[in-house]
Amino acid sequence: MKDLEKINRLKQDLHNTVRELSNTYEELALLYRVSEELAGLTVEEICGVILKEVSVVTDVKIAVIFFYDDKSKNFYTKGFKGIWSPEYLTEDLIEILYKGLQSNKPIIFNKNLCMKCSNSRPSFKSALVAPIKGKKSHIGVLFLADKNNTDEFFTGEIKLIQTLLAFVGLFVENALLIEQMQKFLLSAIKALVKALESTSEWTAGHSERVTQYAVAIGKMMGLPLEDIKRLKMCALLHDIGKIAIPKEILNKKGKLETNEWEEIKRHPIIGATILGEMDYFEDVSECVKCHHEHYDGTGILGLKGEKIPLYARIVAVADAFDAITSDRPYRKRFPISEAIKKIINGSGKQFDPTVVDAFLKWAYSTYNIKLSDHKINT
Amino acid sequence: MKKVMVIDDEPFILMMIEDIFENTEINVVTLRESKNAIEMIKKEKPDLLILDWMMPDISGIEIYKQLKTDPEISKIPVFMLTAKGEEDEESIGILKGVERYITKPFSPRMLLEIVLERLREDK
Repeated sequence: MKDLEKINRLKQDLHNTVRELSNTYEELALLYRVSEELAGLTVEEICGVILKEVSVVTDVKIAVIFFYDDKSKNFYTKGFKGIWSPEYLTEDLIEILYKGLQSNKPIIFNKNLCMKCSNSRPSFKSALVAPIKGKKSHIGVLFLADKNNTDEFFTGEIKLIQTLLAFVGLFVENALLIEQMQKFLLSAIKALVKALESTSEWTAGHSERVTQYAVAIGKMMGLPLEDIKRLKMCALLHDIGKIAIPKEILNKKGKLETNEWEEIKRHPIIGATILGEMDYFEDVSECVKCHHEHYDGTGILGLKGEKIPLYARIVAVADAFDAITSDRPYRKRFPISEAIKKIINGSGKQFDPTVVDAFLKWAYSTYNIKLSDHKINT
Repeated sequence: MKKVMVIDDEPFILMMIEDIFENTEINVVTLRESKNAIEMIKKEKPDLLILDWMMPDISGIEIYKQLKTDPEISKIPVFMLTAKGEEDEESIGILKGVERYITKPFSPRMLLEIVLERLREDK
């Protein structure tokens, strides 16, 4: 009889151990899956993954990620799953989010959740707040509310969320740093371009507009987002070499002399040399060097067809379009429709026909011009 | 009552799967040694077979190959448990008919879900 009791107890122990190990296994599986998914993602994408995984694991109706802004001391919604509106962020809820932010582990509010339902928000039956932390900073909190099948959160799930967030916080922090650095790089480049353009009233805003056109063409061509980002740098910086061309020549009213043209023609090479100083900018530097090349080989350096980098072929069309539609010291600007005609006429000669096609698709839809207006030339 | 058969040499995996199916309408049969696998499959005739890829006696790949040549059991749907990076392309070629690969460590809850879903399709 005693043996039987012992066996039964052992059985129960084994059963409990299996349960426990099962939970650990679940945790491990989650970390495996998430670590594979998160590498290289943006902050928004990471938040999307967390929300998706967490709502599956805990089976909740509402999952929200709030980021905390240390400067303004405010929480703001970064992403959510389920029914959520920023208006729900009432004072009593903010108080709870603060508790979560300052805690080291998830906090549960089962049933006793003291959140009265206000006009702007339904009440929650139960909730969980957990901190999202990086190595150095408090990033924000994860807020979960109202489970689908039960009223309470369980210890197993809480542990799971804690493990997940400890790990995800680092990913978010890294992604935030990368975003900051990219923003910084872009703003440094814009400042440089502004310095260039302030030397001539005629070129103010030129680089920004060329960038806008080039990006539009690139998107029409179906380039991936990463390429579009590089193209953007290229377009912003394409004329940077003009910084070394005498102002008198750049701002001269009336026709330029041959030697003055020769001087201006040096700006792609000068630009490429300047950018040669920057790490990881080889492609941008190449593009800047080649943006005055002609598809048929009659440009400044005599490169032809696909030998000219793609970014340069795109910037060439965007650059020409802006030049034609802008006033110059020696002439008035041409109307859009006239400018489009000039680009079409240059297809296969000055410009890459594929790029021109993409440009036309964009231009026709943007300026609401019918294809038939230009039929003669196409 | 539907029947799922699991063949894996790791006792913990078998116990865990038995545990997650405990309160379901599904009967789980487990087998720890793969030696007599084919014989047991024929005897049990499960509605779904979950095979571990790597086992000491006869591997999951080998069992799968034999299963496919035996008309009596060749129609049984198969899920394969693998550890990450274990699959080589040659075997994947042989295993074209495997319905699903589940990488270890897997989520027990998700396994339960996909098995239930698969068995519902059969109705």
